[in-house]
Amino acid sequence: MSTVRTAAERGRPSFETPGARKPDTVKIVSFLLLLATTFTMLLPLFFMVSTSLKSSREMLKFPPTFIPETWSFGNYLEIFDTLQFGTLYKNSLIVAAMSVLGTLISSALVAYGFARYRGRGNNIWFMLLLSTMMLPYPAIMVPQFILFSKLQWIDTFLPLIVPAFFGSAYNIFLLRQFFLTLPDDLFDAGRMDGCSELRIWYKIALPLSGPALATVAIFAFIYSWNDLLTPVLYLSSSEHFTLPIGMSSLTSSRFRIPPWHLLMVASVLAMVPIVTLFAVAQKQFVEGIVLTGIKS
Amino acid sequence: MYLFISPWIIGFLVFALYPILSSLYFSFTDYDIIHPPEFIGLANYREMFQNELFWQSVRVTLKFTFISVPVQLLLALGFALLLNQKIPLRGFFRTAMYFPSMVSGVAMSLLWYWIFNPQIGLFNYMLSWFGIRGPAWLMDPDTALYALIIMTFWTAGSGMILFLAGLQGVPSSLVEAARLDGAGRFKIFVHVVLPMISPVLLFQLIMGIIDSFQVFTQAYVMTQGGPNYSTWFYVYNLYTSAFKEYRAGYSSALAWVLLIAVMLCTALIMKLSNRFVHYEGGGRR
Amino acid sequence: MNIRRRRKGIVGMILILVAAMALSGCAGGKSAADTAPGGGETDSGGGGQVTITHYTIDSPDRTFIEQLVPEFEKQHPNIKVKVEKAPYEQFDSKLQTLIAGGNSPDVTSHYGYGGFAEYYNKGMLLDLTDLMKEDGFDAATYSIPKELMEIYKVNEQTYGIPVNIYVTLMMYNKDMFDAAGLPYPPSDYEDKSWTFDKMVEYAKQMTVVSDDIAKTQYGVDFAWSERDMKPLYFGAEPYSKDTWTNGGVPSETYFDSPEVIAAYNKLFDLIFKEKVSPTSEWSKSVAGQNGDPFVAGKIGMTVGGSWILAGSNDFPFKVGVAAVPWGGNDKVRSNLFVDPLMILKDSKHPKEAFEWIKYLLTDEIQEKSIELSGGNPPVNTKAAEAYYKHFEGIEPEDVKKVIEGSTKYGFESYNHLVVHYSQINDMFINEMQPIETGHKTVEEVMPVIQKKVTEILNR
Repeated sequence: MSTVRTAAERGRPSFETPGARKPDTVKIVSFLLLLATTFTMLLPLFFMVSTSLKSSREMLKFPPTFIPETWSFGNYLEIFDTLQFGTLYKNSLIVAAMSVLGTLISSALVAYGFARYRGRGNNIWFMLLLSTMMLPYPAIMVPQFILFSKLQWIDTFLPLIVPAFFGSAYNIFLLRQFFLTLPDDLFDAGRMDGCSELRIWYKIALPLSGPALATVAIFAFIYSWNDLLTPVLYLSSSEHFTLPIGMSSLTSSRFRIPPWHLLMVASVLAMVPIVTLFAVAQKQFVEGIVLTGIKS
Repeated sequence: MYLFISPWIIGFLVFALYPILSSLYFSFTDYDIIHPPEFIGLANYREMFQNELFWQSVRVTLKFTFISVPVQLLLALGFALLLNQKIPLRGFFRTAMYFPSMVSGVAMSLLWYWIFNPQIGLFNYMLSWFGIRGPAWLMDPDTALYALIIMTFWTAGSGMILFLAGLQGVPSSLVEAARLDGAGRFKIFVHVVLPMISPVLLFQLIMGIIDSFQVFTQAYVMTQGGPNYSTWFYVYNLYTSAFKEYRAGYSSALAWVLLIAVMLCTALIMKLSNRFVHYEGGGRR
Repeated sequence: MNIRRRRKGIVGMILILVAAMALSGCAGGKSAADTAPGGGETDSGGGGQVTITHYTIDSPDRTFIEQLVPEFEKQHPNIKVKVEKAPYEQFDSKLQTLIAGGNSPDVTSHYGYGGFAEYYNKGMLLDLTDLMKEDGFDAATYSIPKELMEIYKVNEQTYGIPVNIYVTLMMYNKDMFDAAGLPYPPSDYEDKSWTFDKMVEYAKQMTVVSDDIAKTQYGVDFAWSERDMKPLYFGAEPYSKDTWTNGGVPSETYFDSPEVIAAYNKLFDLIFKEKVSPTSEWSKSVAGQNGDPFVAGKIGMTVGGSWILAGSNDFPFKVGVAAVPWGGNDKVRSNLFVDPLMILKDSKHPKEAFEWIKYLLTDEIQEKSIELSGGNPPVNTKAAEAYYKHFEGIEPEDVKKVIEGSTKYGFESYNHLVVHYSQINDMFINEMQPIETGHKTVEEVMPVIQKKVTEILNR
């Protein structure tokens, strides 16, 4: 697991938690607190990695061992035989990448519309938007399936990707809240310069929303990457299956002891793209937004 | 404005409207998914309010929401504030905090099943350091729900990065000015920082409520609603009705009651929030 | 500028959409129409090609049938078989969604949480009687025992043809028996000395209860069956007899009868009075959510489904199989878990689907399936000879005796035969939990269960 390096001293002034100026007791206490918390939070993950390196026989041991007695690095190769791991991984990457792209573009656009204009109709649309999140998925599963099968989208990635290009309610709401924190003056200035609204969106709003967009990208990726129910419903041939389907197939037999060690291998490998994405996005959180020069 | 929100409106009309309206129609029918639905008026809604398991699921879900949402928000905000300081290993801490949110479903439930193992689990082991003999957690009706609540705290990292993103938007000039005015740490936080990130806080509050009203996976995979119905969540009840009991009509009615309840809740919070939430922009036109 | 920008934005959107379609298009290869289940172009009557879909669980012990397809397609050039699969947890919801969406598979079995009775009761199944008559189907050709063919008949009409048969058997830890100096239990069902009480006596000598969890071990784990069926072991019947002939709708249930209560008490005594069996909390702690503490080497004898045999090669101790001891019921000592192949009512090609079913039952394929699946027990008694030899370190002779005895003294598991079973089962798990932890007595709980079962059945 890679540690994400911060460029803590990038020389750009950014807001810090109040009082951070003095290297005082607050910082020391914070540091110790963080150390303790991260330790507990990482313990289960340590167990996950160590389990992924155990042999199938050692898995049955009770009480379980913390450190593998014999290191079975072969598990990481075996997973490619047991599951068509390469295919699953590739499919998941395609679907997740397309979903992130679609979500970012459409949600940022729609959220801007909701944040900047507050007309009468706006509130109704906004409540409608929120309401699409309030119906639990099992309730709309069947009608949605009928819809997509009429479109002949069964066993393609389309039902998993295309809706993202029309905006996801959660991310629209999230970005709207961020756009709302941006000062009006900024946009007025842009308008005075004769920019169109789309240009203001593109040139002013988006660059200022780096951290928020990074967050949306991560969330959209994780959502798509870990989604199980939708792919199960819409994909029918194994060559289209995604990673979560493959992983739950490991525990699907009612008559066999599940190969937990292989499941953990798959889980560890499944985290790689997310960790990478997070490492890249982290830059956005570090750099911060500088709004100097604009009077509040 | 419609130029901007048109992608979503199109998407809504094409992908969401039909399923939503169908489920509304199903809620007035006797529908077993296999045979065509049969109109029965309000019978599903009437039955619901007399059903013991329905009320149990409402109790469980509300209890879960009232505890887990506020605590998770506080934790996330706390971590974000700690990690917004310049301290050593900041990047490592941020990643570590967020790590748990990256673990996928099946692995997650397996890990937590082990953590809550009363005999050899991590949780009771750590309690034993303080001389506490831990309960049976997921296997005890009195503690199972709390175990699932504790589990949500592990993923507070994802709320944390939202707050971090929000904190990044607070202009340093404002904080600087307040400091020059002689405001203390706490005062700055309450009067400057908190108002600036209040839209993010509102978002997390509403989403937290919507999400926890819809908790399903943990109940389905880890506890099957038990022991003794102690984790019989609303959506678990709904799913069971639809796909174990073949009662899609009844389960659609459950979905619509949930929709209306959450909607009222959200509207109420939005209304109240107008007083507290500070919007820097918001082009009033 | 304003307009140009706007147009660019829209063009961009369209481009992205097109790209999305193209991308998934190339990944998809075929269009949905080609692969839609039952989407054969011509009707079964014509000589054209027909595609049938076999819906199953996405796990190696089920999906091995994909390897059987090429040979079948060679023999039947006009039939294509597509294997559609879902993970266990999603099996039922996907099946129901497929049917509702007009994409019903042709062949499946009750692999989800609902059993045969549920499917029959919902009218999801095709009556196979005429197909069988027309075809001249004779179970003897496939060496399927006659009694097994009776299980999935309702009112003399056949709705399912058995393909695999699991039974309840006893498996014991030889190392623990040796350590306690006990003789191994018999595999012969006719050995009258092998009784429930004798089992308890053995169990006492192997049980060690200690504060150190690593040292604790129990003599016997007597699961036997699903919770509602357990009284049958002692001869008490909780459902009225008509249940077994009318498609699984009991006219009466007797969960609060003295016989049923006595039976449950006898079983819970193993935990609380004799203290030779683990509590469910202990079992889950040792073995995880759906695990089996026997596998961890902490149980002397376990009485449960024969699927436990499949993993036995990996156990870190020596094992043997034995008969389920006699417990007071002269007719029934074991459960059968017979998986039938069924054709769904919405199948567009029942004839071709039936060909596929027959193919899966032939001696050759049944024998081949044992190896490919990693030890699924065949219904075909000829192929079963190969099954008996499949398990390393266990005497084939013992396996044979145990399986044949169980089949003779077996009754099909209630979970396949009673309607609304997944609801009944969920209710049992939740209501019985306080007994399992010792917070309530059987006498307190059973009347509640009786009331709730009645409610569920009357719905």
